[in-house]
Order: sequence, then structure tokens, then C-alpha cells
Amino acid sequence: MTFRFIHSSDLHLGKRFGQFSGDLPAQLREARHASIRRLAEHAREQGASTILLAGDTFDTETPSPMVLRQALTEMRHYAPIHWVILPGNHDSLQAAQLWITLKAEAPENVTLAVDATPLEIAPRVMLLPAPCTTRRPGRDLSEWMDGAGTSEGTIRIGLAHGAVQSFSEEDGGLDVIAPDRARRAGLDYLALGDWHGGVEIDQRTRYSGSPEPDRFKHDRPGEALIVSIEAASALPEVTSLETGSFSWRTMKLDLVDGDDAVARMGELFPEAHLRRQALVKLVIGGRTRLDGRTALASAIQSARPDFAWFEFHDEALATECETDDLDAIDIGGALRGAADALFAEAGSAARSAEEREVARAALGRLYALAQKVSS
Amino acid sequence: MKILALRLFNVKRFAARGVAIEGIGDGVNVLCAANEFGKSTSFEALHALFFQLHSSTAGDVKNLRPYSGGNPLIEADISTQQGVFRITKQFYGRGSARIIDLGNGRLIAQADEAENFIASLVRGGTAGPAGLLWVRQGMTGIEKRNRADEEGDTKIRTSLLQSVQGEVEAVTGGRRMSEIIAATEEELSQLVTRTGKAKAGEPYAAAIEERNRLEAEEQRLAAEVRLLRDALDKRAAAAKRLAELDRTEEREERRRNVEVAQVAFGTAKSQFETLRAAKVELELIRVQQDTAQRALETFKSAAEKAVTITVALNEVERKRLEAVTNRDMALDTAAKARAAFDAAEIEEQEALALLVRLDAMLKAREAHERLGELQQKLEGAEVVLKEIEQAEAEVVLLKMPEKAVTELENIDVEIAKFRAVAEAGRSSVGIAYEPHSPIVSLSGEPLREGKQRSYNGQAELTIPGIGILTLRSGQPVGGDRQLQQSQERRRVLLALMGVEDLAAARLKQVNEQYKKSDLREKKMHLSLLAPDGFAKLRAELATYRAVTNDMLEVKADPAQVRAAHEAAEAKRITAREAWRAVGPTQSGMEDAIVAASTQAAVLNAERVQMDAILGQPAMRVEREEQMAAQLADFNTRLAEQLTLVKGLQEEAVDLALVEATLNRMRSVAEAAMKETSQLREEIAGWTAEIRARSEDAVEEKWRESIDALAAMGIRVVGYNKEVAVLQRLRDALATARSQARETYLLPVMNELRPLLGLLFDDVSITFDEKTLLPDRIMRNGQEEDVERLSGGMREQLSVLTRLAFARLLAKNGGPAPVILDDALVYSDDDRIERMFDALHRQAREQQIIVFSCRQRAFQKLGGNALQMLDWTPAE
Repeated sequence: MTFRFIHSSDLHLGKRFGQFSGDLPAQLREARHASIRRLAEHAREQGASTILLAGDTFDTETPSPMVLRQALTEMRHYAPIHWVILPGNHDSLQAAQLWITLKAEAPENVTLAVDATPLEIAPRVMLLPAPCTTRRPGRDLSEWMDGAGTSEGTIRIGLAHGAVQSFSEEDGGLDVIAPDRARRAGLDYLALGDWHGGVEIDQRTRYSGSPEPDRFKHDRPGEALIVSIEAASALPEVTSLETGSFSWRTMKLDLVDGDDAVARMGELFPEAHLRRQALVKLVIGGRTRLDGRTALASAIQSARPDFAWFEFHDEALATECETDDLDAIDIGGALRGAADALFAEAGSAARSAEEREVARAALGRLYALAQKVSS
Repeated sequence: MKILALRLFNVKRFAARGVAIEGIGDGVNVLCAANEFGKSTSFEALHALFFQLHSSTAGDVKNLRPYSGGNPLIEADISTQQGVFRITKQFYGRGSARIIDLGNGRLIAQADEAENFIASLVRGGTAGPAGLLWVRQGMTGIEKRNRADEEGDTKIRTSLLQSVQGEVEAVTGGRRMSEIIAATEEELSQLVTRTGKAKAGEPYAAAIEERNRLEAEEQRLAAEVRLLRDALDKRAAAAKRLAELDRTEEREERRRNVEVAQVAFGTAKSQFETLRAAKVELELIRVQQDTAQRALETFKSAAEKAVTITVALNEVERKRLEAVTNRDMALDTAAKARAAFDAAEIEEQEALALLVRLDAMLKAREAHERLGELQQKLEGAEVVLKEIEQAEAEVVLLKMPEKAVTELENIDVEIAKFRAVAEAGRSSVGIAYEPHSPIVSLSGEPLREGKQRSYNGQAELTIPGIGILTLRSGQPVGGDRQLQQSQERRRVLLALMGVEDLAAARLKQVNEQYKKSDLREKKMHLSLLAPDGFAKLRAELATYRAVTNDMLEVKADPAQVRAAHEAAEAKRITAREAWRAVGPTQSGMEDAIVAASTQAAVLNAERVQMDAILGQPAMRVEREEQMAAQLADFNTRLAEQLTLVKGLQEEAVDLALVEATLNRMRSVAEAAMKETSQLREEIAGWTAEIRARSEDAVEEKWRESIDALAAMGIRVVGYNKEVAVLQRLRDALATARSQARETYLLPVMNELRPLLGLLFDDVSITFDEKTLLPDRIMRNGQEEDVERLSGGMREQLSVLTRLAFARLLAKNGGPAPVILDDALVYSDDDRIERMFDALHRQAREQQIIVFSCRQRAFQKLGGNALQMLDWTPAE
């Protein structure tokens, strides 16, 4: 009998996104809540009976009652799909109030994996959860799985939250999950949470990633995993499912002199109708001429309203400045004198990087103003 | 730079042909030709050569082409400090630019490099004015101007400002600079105040404010989250502890522990009581045994002591009796000694009385003998006293004044001296007789041969046979007066002394001495006879007389009497000592009696005490046996009790320890109970707190505020940078402008001033120090509107400004040619000549090229006349 389930994690329900302004934070927050629906719909479509949430379902230890209640209500709505919630580092067992409330309010189709004991989630399918006891447990909580016995022929599925080796969403350290835990504990599959982008550690061990991205770091769409295990010891069959509603994209624009910077940037942008749901971080590097820079700046200003969010970083963009660029400001006289002084300062090794950057920007500004005044 | 030659081909009106202007020299060069002769074309070609890229197809370049089309070719020879060069440019088809070093005929630059070469010639440094200075008919600058200015009669001199503005703007950036600065300031003013502080109400200040608010908010929320987490942690710990405490088996164990400890304590306590009773009993027996033992010992020692006391009493009585006998004997001896002493004393008294009488008698006898002796002495003394009185009277008679004799002697000597002096001073007369001559006498006395006679005053010489000769001496007689005085003193003294002369005086003096010594002898005699005077002598005499009156007679030998008395005295002392010696023996015996009696009394008292202890003598033995038996009984009981106590002690457990255990168990149970209830309370408190905060979603808010703060921080940093950039730009612009002013404009003003003076003697123009534009014009002391300056004056000013610039450039080592194209059309003849003077003055140091159509007027300019020649470029 094949056991099919959805592996997801890091829903971070209730996250507020204070770095943005306007409607966007509310939309992003709502998108996180909506990921419950999307996971459930995928489960129905894929014929999965169970959804395993590998920690950080809630963003904080004390989510507001509204977040909590509405999440549970949403889960109940998709019964008989069975939800298993594992405490992660953001919503560890230390947050006793949260778990007491969950215990009191959880509907029948929601199981709280709060004890490190085998849990039968389907006939002959045992779940071995490693709930986070505190924010930083300081030890490998999955270790107990090695010695947890189950009857012959039972499918063993591990559920844990935290870093394997040195990568983690937060500071790594002692509480590192052994990357070969699945092998050591004879697990058919180890469902991990914490890393917001999906990662395959080995054939039986995976991070599902967050169903709704919440940062630029991973540059992956929101996703979840549908896992099928035919029988004990069989290799799991894993497929990724798209679940995100907003896309967080980091775009790198590396310019060389002579590039049409505006055109190059346009190539990177998604189709116009997708931009509304896109948060974009444009990182511009390489080198350009003063006019290219000026043109790029105005193109960015014009593109901005297309996107849910648009930010750009041009600290790494070096400005090439030639005599005719300076000539465009003025061929002589005091204006040219000022331009020459700024140009010299922007390239002077005697100045600090910050001062050079200020001089460079001032020169760019002078160029732009000179163009405006001449026209 | 200097221009040596200009050649052009296929330019404007010169389609398919060319002209050359050769031999352009130093100083003023004049190309004077009628209009439409190609003068302006040359000017434009020259301009394009220096200021248009060979690749350019801009309007100005387009204008160079002839109507028939073709590729304009322009060439100029120039001389610089580096050498002599030929610049060749071809526009449009086969556009090219080349620089040839005419010194060696080598091509040194082409295309862009050639353009760079040209640029370095015409740009005297980027902030300086151009290396070529142009003044065109009505045009004042090299830059593109309003096209309308070039057309029509009104094209020229729209305003005076324009006439100088060209060069000023070329240097200061002019209007563009001002606009850019204004735009920068405008943008900056959106962000910060003049002092560089964030401007209230604007986005920058708002961002800072928002960031600060978020910072505070974040801190506040972080603190709340800390509290919340703390509460969560504490509650978890408390709940864990409570679960431990509240486990049934733990509770049961605590109860059981208390019970066991209680039982143990009960047992231990009863054991302890038994032991204590046994110990008390033991102590009692020990006291009784001790009492019995001491009673027996007392009895025994009393018996012993009773025997000792009896012996001692007997001895004391014997000593007392012995002392009584001895005392009686001593009393008897003392009485006898006393009697002997009394007798000796009487005897001594009698001997003493006899001795006294005998002494009295001997004294009376001695006084009687002395009385006669004294009587004789008194009588002798009275005789001597009479003799003394007589002698004293005689001495008085002989007494002369003291030192009178000595004085008399002195006076005598003095008189003799005065006499001798008087004699020597007198006139004298001597005579030597002839034989047989009568004797002459002086004052009656014969005058002898060879003998001088003196005389005094007047003398008469009686000369026999002749008569009397009177001699008179005129000498004074002073010496006589002193002599007379001395003689008078002598007479008085002698009278006083009562003698006639010195010899008599001496005799009298000797007599006096003699009498005086006789008197002294007599007085001595008297003092021997009556050493203490007559009164004493007489009193002594009277005393003796009294003693002698009651004189009695004792017939005894004084020596015998004295010896008898001494013997009696010795006897009395001996007797007294004997009597004294008996005293101590007697008192010693008395003491011995008292001591013996006292000792006996003490001993008696002790015996009474012993008897009291011992009781009746008959019962004593029985009593002692009884007491010994009692003691033995107590000893036995004591040993038994000791064994009992020892046994109990060995069995006993440590009561304190058992009690401590009990207390500990009880406190453990109590503490657990207390802690349980306290933990429940605390948990309830924390639960309430946690609920309150989580309903508030404080943690979500905190995370939100962290993100918001980070975003706002970035915005503020962005604004900071924006401000820094704008400030930097503003500073750079301001610095460049003021530098340009300092470097060029003010020096230009200094150059301009003398030129103005040269041209306008009736007008003074002041320039604004900042804009360097004419500010005020004073004509004949009247201030005039700058706008009302004549066209001629405007163009003159324009030329002069260029000249001033050129002069400055030349001074700075980069001379630039000044090129004037019909620049002085509006100037009248008088002015123009002055202008020419100015030009020549300037031309001493640099090159001036003048294009003009006013042939007649410019004849007066002089200078190097240039010719336009046909020219075809060598292929």
C-alpha cells in the first residue's frame, strides 16, 4: 500500500513584513494564510491523505488569537485531510501557551507532534517527530529516532526542524541534525523544515522549503513536496509542487561599457502581468558611462509602479567617465572645473571609499543636471 | 599660440577654389576688404578649424559647404612654444584631421589625436578661457547664441550684459552654472535646512523621525518580548517543577518519611528519659556516700586531735607556772636596785653643794686683789691726760699754714731771679783811667778801672777836676714792678707765718714736729692705762668693790671637793643602770604568763569542740563502727547504679539527631506543599501575563518593527547619501566658480581698468565684483543706466574685455591670438583711433588679427596688412 503525503514547512503564519509599506505587508501576510488552502488543494489533487508541517508553522511563540484560530479553522475546513504540526524553533514547545491553546482548539484532523515518541499516522506508517523543545535546543533532537523501534514492515517517517551541518536560517551551532539521520535511524523519509528553499540532502532526506517565500535569499518560488512511499524501505518518490502566490526575485544586472543598460534590465523583468505579484531586488554591477547610468535611473523610476516591490542596489556599479562625458557637462570654464574636480576625487586613492562614492554620485548628478539645463 | 597662415579650399563661397592668407605676424594684423570678399568666410573657416570636430556634421559645419557641395578643407600654420605646426582638417567626405610638424615635416597626429592636439591649444586649461579670443560683428562669444542675434540690424547689442557675458560665462559657467547650482540648492532644500539639518516636515526629516520612532518602538517591543519570553521560560520551569513535586509517589514518600522519623523520635525520647532518671539516682547515691565518708573521716580526725590537745594543755600550764616564779624574782631585784640609786643620788647632791660654795669664795678673793691694781691705773691715767692737754696747746701755737714754707722758698728764688734780670737790663758805665788820673765816682762811689757799673734812671758822675756828669737812661723799669710784687707777697707770707725769714720758718717747723711726736707718745700711754676709757675703768672698779664687800671663808681643799663630787656622780650612774637592767626581765616574764594563758584558752576551746564531735566518751567506739558500716553500704549501691547507667548509655540513640531528621522530613514535606501552592500561583500569574501579551501579538509586532526599522534605516542612509551628494556637488560648483573668479576674473578686471582709462576719459565704469558685469556708469559725474550705453561703447567694451583676457593669458605664459571680425562698426572715428591705440598697446605682447570692411577707417590702424591669395591645396 502506497503512502502519499505532502511535506511542507515554514509557513510562518502571522509574519508582518514591517520593511514594506502600504498594502503590501497585509497582502504578504494574507498570502501566507492562503498557503494552507493551496497545500490542501494540492493534497486533494494528488490524493495525499496527510500534510506534514515540519516546524515554524507560526512565526512567533505567541501568535495573535486571530492568526491561530483562523489557521485551525482553515485546516478543519479541509478534513479529512490530516495535518501534523511539528513545533519548530519559532514556535517551540517553550511557547507553552501556544501549545496549550492549540491542544485545546485543534480540530480532529490536526495532530500536534509535541512528543518525541512514535506516532501512527496511518496503518503501518509510523511518524517519528523531533519537536523543538526550546528556541535553541543545543543538541540533535532527532537522535532518539535511532533507537525507536517499530514493528517489521512499518514505514518510518522522520519529522524534524533545524539545520543539517552549517546552513540554517538562523545561527547554526550545536543543534545540528545529523545529515545521515535517515540512514542511521532506518527512516524511509526524513521531512525537514527550517530552510526556506527546497533542498535535497539525500534520496530520503529533504527540506521542503516554505510554500510562500518571505525573503530574497533563496530566489525560488514557493513550493511543497508530494512524497509517495510504496512500502517500508522503498525509495520515496518526491515531486515538487508550486504553491507560492508572490515571487521574490533577486535580479543581477552586470553591465559592461557599451551595453544598453535599459534594454538589458528590461530583459530581466518578468512578463508585465506577473509583475504585480513580484518583489524584485535588482543588483546592478559592472561598469557604465554617465549617460547609461542616468538613463538607467530614469528607466527604474518608470518601471517601479509595475511591481509589488522594487528595490535596486547600484553600489557595485562603477561609472566609466570619459572626456566627452565631461565635455557634455561643459567644455571648459567653472562647470567643467567642478566636473573635473569631482571626477578626480571619485578616482582618488587618497579618499575613502565613501567619499569616492559621494563624488561619483555628485558627478552623475551634475551630468544629469547639465543635460537638463542644456535642453 | 600664434597663427602664421590660414588656407581654405572649397569653403562656402569658394566652391572648388581656395584662398590663403599668409604671413600673419606678431602684433596687429589687418585684413581689410570689402564686404562679400570672403573675409567672414575666412573667419568662419578659422573658427571651424579650431572648434569643430573633423567628423562633425553639425549645423556650423554644414554651413561651411559651398552650395555646390564638396568637402571643405581648412589649413592653418601655427607657432607654439613647442614648435611650428600645420593643422589640416577636411570635413564631410574623407573627413580628416592632421597635424604636421613643420620643423621636420613629420606627421605627428591624425584623426582623434589631432583633435586632442587642437583641443589642448584652444583650451587653456579646462577652467580657463579659450585659447583663441574672438569678437565678431556684434557677437561676443564663441558659443552658440540666439540665432536671431545674428540677423537683422537689431541683432547686435541687445544688452550690454551680453557684450561681456560671453567670456565671463565661458569662465564661470555662467547661466548654466547658476541654473545647476539653483537646481542643486532646490533639491537640497527639500531635504535639509541651510545649516545642514534635516528639514522639518520634509521626507528626510520624516524618515529620520520615523526611524527614531521605530527604534524606540523596537526597543519597547523587544523589552516586552523579553518579558514575554522570560515569563514563558519561567512558567515552563515552574510547571516542570510542579509536576515533579505533585507526583503521587513523591508525596507518599514524603509522608512516610515523616512517620518513620516520628516513631524513631518517640523511642529515642523514652530511652532518654530513663537514662536521665538513672543518672539522677546515681548522683544522689554518690552524694550520700560522700557524706558518710566525710563523717567518718571527721570523727577519726577529731579523736586524734583530742589526744594532741590534752598533751599540749599540760605543757602550757607548766610554762605558765615557771614564768610566774621568774617574774616574782625579777620584782625583788628591781626594788633593791632602786634603793641603791636613790642613795647615790643624795650623796652626789651634797658633794655638788660644797663645790659651789668653794668656787664663790675663790672668786671674791681674786676681785679684792684686782681692785688695788685698778685704783693705781686710774690715778696714772689722770696725770697723763693733763700732760696731753698741755702738749696740744703748745702744738697749736707752733702751727703754720700748710705748704707756707715751700711757698716762701719759691718766692725767695723768684725775687733773686727778678733782681738778676733787673741788674742785667740796666745802663752801665765803665772807665779806663789814664795813669795818674783822679778817680771818678758814680753816685758817690768810685768807679774802678775795668769794672762796669750799672745805674738806674739817672746817675751822676763826679769827675774830679771837671765837674759832675749826669747820666740818664731812658729804659723802663718793668722788672722792678714784678720784683716788688714778689717782695710784697713775701712780706705778707712772713707776717702770716709769724717769722722773719725762711730760716726762722724752718726752725719753727722743726719745733712743731717735735711737739707732735711727744703728744702721740702720751696718748699711747693713756690708752695703755685705760684701754676702754675712764668710764669702763671706773665701773670695773665699782664691781670689784661690791664683790669684795661680802667675802666669806671656806676651809676646804678645792681639789678634794671636786674629786668627791665626781665619785658620787659615777656611783649614781652605776646604780641607775643596775636599776634599769632589772626592768626588761620583769616585763618578759609578764608576757610569757599572758601567752601561756591564751594558748591554754585556745586549747580548751578546741577540746570542747572535739568533745562535741566525739560525743559521749562511752559511746565513741560503737559510733565509729556504725558509721563505717553505713559507708560500706553506700559504696555497694554506688557501684550498682554506675553499672546500670553505663548500660543505659550504651543503649541510647542520639536524640538530637533523630529530632533533626524528624524536623528535616517535616520541613521537606512542608516546603513541598508551600512550593506547590506558590508554583501554582506563579504559573497562574505568568499565564495571565503571557495570555495578555500574546493576545496583543507583541512578538509579531516586534518582528514587524525590526523589519520596518531595518528598511527605514536604509532609507535614512539613502537620504544621508543624497544629502552628502548634493552638498558635495554644491560645494564643488561653488568652489569651481569662486576659483575661476579668483584665477581669471579679478585679474581680468585689473587688466581691463587701464584699457578703459585709455579709451574713456569722460566715462568711468564700475564692475560688479561678483558677476564682473558692468554695474554702474558715471558720465560727467552723472550716473547712467547701463542699458543706455551706446552701441559703440558696447562693442568697445567687448573688445577690451577680450584684450584684457588675452593679456592675462599672455602673462600666464599662454598667449592667445585675438581675432576681431568687423568688431568696430559702431565706433566713431575718434573712438576708433583710441581703440587702435589700445590694440597696438596690447599687440606688443601678442597677436591680434583684425578683419574689417571699413577700409578707410582702418587705414589709420596701421599694422601688418594681410592679403588674400588664391590657393589650391597640393594633392
